[in-house]
Amino acid sequence: MTTGTITIPRIVPRPTSETGIWSWIGTVDHKRIGTLYFFTSIFWFLTAGVEALLMRLQLSRPEAEMVSPEVFNQLFTMHGTVMVFLVVMPLSAAFFNWLIPLQIGARDVAFPRLNAFSYWLFLFGSVLLNVSWLVGDAPNGGWFGYAPNSENLYNPSNGMTFWVLSLGVLGIASIAAGLNFIITIINLRAPGMTMFKMPVFTWMTLITSVLIVLALPVLAVAGIQLQTDRLFGTTFYDPVAGGDPVLWQHMFWLFGHPEVYILILPAMGIVSEILPVFSRKPLFGYPFVIFAGIVIAFMGWFVWSHHMFTVGLGPAANSAFAVSTMAIAIPTGVKVFNWMGTAWGGSIRLTTPMLFALGFIAMFTVGGLSGVMHSSAPSDAQQQDTYFVVAHFHYVLFGGAILGIFGGIYMWWPKIFGWKLSEGWGKLNFWLMLIGFNLTFFPMHWIGMDGMPRRIYTYPADQGWNGANMAATIGGFVIAVSVLVWVINVYLSWRRRDPAGDDPWDGRTLEWSIPSPPPHYNFAKIPQVEHLDDFWFKKHPELIAEFEGHHGPRGAPEGAQFDDDDYYEDEVHAEDDETGSYAHGADDSHGGHGIHLPDMSYYPLVLAAGITLAMAGLFTEYWVVGIGGGLIAWGMLGWSFEPVND
Amino acid sequence: MPPLRSVTGRTRATLLLCLLAAGLAVLAACTPSHDQSTFDPAGPIAARQADLFIFIFWLAVAVFILVEGGLIYAVIKYRKRRDGEMPKQVHGNTRLEITWTIIPAFILLAIAIPTVKAIYENDAVPQDRGEPLEVIAIGHQWWFEFRYPGLEIVTANQLHIPTGRPVVVTLQSEDVIHSFWIPKLAGKLDMVPLNDNHFWFLADRPGMFYGQCAEFCGIAHAHMRFRVVAAPEEEFREWVTDMRTPVDAPEPDSPEAKGRTTFLANCSMCHTVDSYLANGYPTEIAAQDRRWNTWVESEGDSPIVSGPNLTHLSLRSTLAAGVQDLSEENLRTWLRNPGSIKPGTRMQVNAQVYATEDNRIGLTDEEVDNLIVYLMSLEPGEGGPTVSVPPPDAGGEPNAARGEALFAANGCSGCHSLGEDTIIGPGFKGVVSRAGTRVTGVSAEDYLSESIRSPSAFVVEGFSDGLMPILSTLSDADVADLIEYLKTIE
Repeated sequence: MTTGTITIPRIVPRPTSETGIWSWIGTVDHKRIGTLYFFTSIFWFLTAGVEALLMRLQLSRPEAEMVSPEVFNQLFTMHGTVMVFLVVMPLSAAFFNWLIPLQIGARDVAFPRLNAFSYWLFLFGSVLLNVSWLVGDAPNGGWFGYAPNSENLYNPSNGMTFWVLSLGVLGIASIAAGLNFIITIINLRAPGMTMFKMPVFTWMTLITSVLIVLALPVLAVAGIQLQTDRLFGTTFYDPVAGGDPVLWQHMFWLFGHPEVYILILPAMGIVSEILPVFSRKPLFGYPFVIFAGIVIAFMGWFVWSHHMFTVGLGPAANSAFAVSTMAIAIPTGVKVFNWMGTAWGGSIRLTTPMLFALGFIAMFTVGGLSGVMHSSAPSDAQQQDTYFVVAHFHYVLFGGAILGIFGGIYMWWPKIFGWKLSEGWGKLNFWLMLIGFNLTFFPMHWIGMDGMPRRIYTYPADQGWNGANMAATIGGFVIAVSVLVWVINVYLSWRRRDPAGDDPWDGRTLEWSIPSPPPHYNFAKIPQVEHLDDFWFKKHPELIAEFEGHHGPRGAPEGAQFDDDDYYEDEVHAEDDETGSYAHGADDSHGGHGIHLPDMSYYPLVLAAGITLAMAGLFTEYWVVGIGGGLIAWGMLGWSFEPVND
Repeated sequence: MPPLRSVTGRTRATLLLCLLAAGLAVLAACTPSHDQSTFDPAGPIAARQADLFIFIFWLAVAVFILVEGGLIYAVIKYRKRRDGEMPKQVHGNTRLEITWTIIPAFILLAIAIPTVKAIYENDAVPQDRGEPLEVIAIGHQWWFEFRYPGLEIVTANQLHIPTGRPVVVTLQSEDVIHSFWIPKLAGKLDMVPLNDNHFWFLADRPGMFYGQCAEFCGIAHAHMRFRVVAAPEEEFREWVTDMRTPVDAPEPDSPEAKGRTTFLANCSMCHTVDSYLANGYPTEIAAQDRRWNTWVESEGDSPIVSGPNLTHLSLRSTLAAGVQDLSEENLRTWLRNPGSIKPGTRMQVNAQVYATEDNRIGLTDEEVDNLIVYLMSLEPGEGGPTVSVPPPDAGGEPNAARGEALFAANGCSGCHSLGEDTIIGPGFKGVVSRAGTRVTGVSAEDYLSESIRSPSAFVVEGFSDGLMPILSTLSDADVADLIEYLKTIE
């Protein structure tokens, strides 16, 4: 079924392995790509955790000499960069990949090879960033890379070059993935699934993807400028030659604040899925939660200068950004109250995912409240760049994003792998993480108000900061134990591999209607969607009247009966996208299931490797750029002329 | 309903616990005795900032108790009891949702109004608290320079201010971004290169206040601190007088004198000690610019870096930018191996005297001892604040005595010794006889005059061009007097 008349010579045969390592290297299956994202990010999560522990050891007591100041600077730069770009973003991407096609009743994403390309580029970018440790040149200018400290004059080592080039590679990966998921969600929803019947996680993915597509290019522009400053002697951000370091901050935070919502919205989506399942109640105020997400994403573009209250932008700018920042707390508060409303009056099962979701709400609220304290610019003048800020954003990003993501891991693990994680170990994991987290980060509020600045590798003994720092270090190790408990849980549960069944939690959304793990093609028949939480109401048709009664006439007539045969639409309705991957008609050459899926491909990997090598060559040897360029050309040509199915 | 009662009892206990925890947090956080506590404001700026924080804090505590209490209550009350239990399928409640959108909006409005008010109040220098003292604070990697343009004083790492009078600060940075922060007096404001910032603060009470750089600025960021000494007006005036009073000249062959020689030969290219001189202020500004440009042009490799002004060092309480108390012992550790106190400090990385195998100071113990004695002796002398300003040019024959005064006032001795040794520029012993033979057809007088006027004209082999400043304030008569003085150095 070749589509073009042009054929170009094949250098390597098309991958066909269905098992073994080659089946992963050539895969374009969203579930496998999700799994690759997941385990790669977990690996970086562990390394960032080790970085954090080393910093905590150094700060456990005053005047400690665990690590040198140079290494400390590298540790906090890498911890921040890795947690943002190699852990929370790609862990979210793992969930996008695992869940979005399943939640919208599709067989894959819109561009499966582009999806594989995003993953490989993420993998290579993450390796490029971390290779800096091995050559002893880890980035040391902070995850925010403020110029001119990140310029050559102050930072002649290759560290910040590694940083800016890897962010370039990772940025391309994110933008490609963002576009892919926007197009997937807009175009590949099952028939009947209108926008306001989409699961909340799908909604948050859509919003996040739009933010990624709009925000990452801003970082890319700033990054390219810094890169040419460092490599070719331009002077965008070099004040010695008249460049403007404040411009870097505007560019960075114009990316950086939407980035905060890129990090937290997926976790909010996860929590919004977990709460209704374990409260046995629909999400309270679904449209409010969706609109709050949209409003947050929109307003997220008008608050960036609250990261710059102490830069000296003047009272007018500080007032405007203080007020806009306070305003963004309103939709955020709406979400929190709606989550509480979901649990209220429900039939709550305190499973591990539910515990993590509740932990998310409790901790995220603390981060939100300290965020309001920062929004008041005069108050922030005392808090900016102190440990108070460190406490604040860890309550949002660890207490928020990481707890939410762990909830998601426990929630969807049985769906993805077919067996559950142990509930007992899971609860131990949760409580240790919650306690360790609060022990680490709560005391930071007060050492911050007590005048301890961030990013200092040591501090004097007589400032009253000793006890809280020791507590934080102990807490850090409790978190480490909790993560270890999770690893043990994965191992022990893997040894047992008790089949989880299709719908272990009494789920509400489409992914629970198919086998665990899902077959390669996901849905044998594309479902016909009638309701929000369609699968739940198909299981409990007697509840439709009660729900629709509140909701107004929408969807199917009242009292419709769940009929398994009616549930799946005949596959002739399946969408026929541009790749032809959902072509109808039987073809026994495709795994015997009669469903066409896109064939595997090496070209995403080749192209991603080419881009990464070309970047790396810029500051090593120029011939490496040549090799990278060659791979890029080969990858693009091969990709362009590769038929969807051989 | 007994079970429900027990639930509410537990909830009440939980709420009480939350309150207690919040109360404890406040108590623990209010530690005004600490040097950098933000809860012990000593001036109106910091006070407004603390008031605003505490106001928002209590609102936050209320919301915290509401949300966390509600959450815990819901989980306890609605925990599943029977299998197959199906709760009411509520999709939402528009009225309730609008309510919990509007109420937070009002709470935030209650925060926004005092916030904007405080932003503008903290921006305006008060008109009724006396004549503001003008200060320029400059961030350097990794120390603070303080210039008082009205008083023509320059100092480092210890800012002296009068109490009860606004201090108007212009914040600048020479290199990277730093942040100027005195928790008890004022929240931070950044020092950004090419982007001067202006702000003011005021100390209501005398005291020694701690300051620290709050923007990550490189390897020694943790060690970039400073002190603010706020004193009543008269005491501040005394300090001003002291800073204009020359050091007494050391006895010949005393340890101070030997230390001074060591200092001139090894330290004076980066550290000025005589900014009490008549031209001290502009000379130091020009010198810092020169040091900085030299460092930038060498891409960070030059042996000359921006160094703190050490005029009347012994009046200060700390060394190494607020890192340690100033004492002979600490000074010895610092001089021998600065990195043991402040890793990464430019003094050790760049200065010639540390270009030894083990990166320790390239001086004998005795030389270091003398240097310490000399540095600790840098204090206002007996002679009072009158500075020996070179007398005005009286016309007539070149005057060697006036030349000597000019030599001192223009800081020439920072780079040129009177012997044969090299500090930065050539030693001046016998300079006139050498000058006459350097370039055929150019007399000694013309050679020296041209060298003073345009330092790049004749650069002696082995010395770098571009280090010597162009002394544009010198008149022709001044140059003639200087040459006359040089002739006396045999």
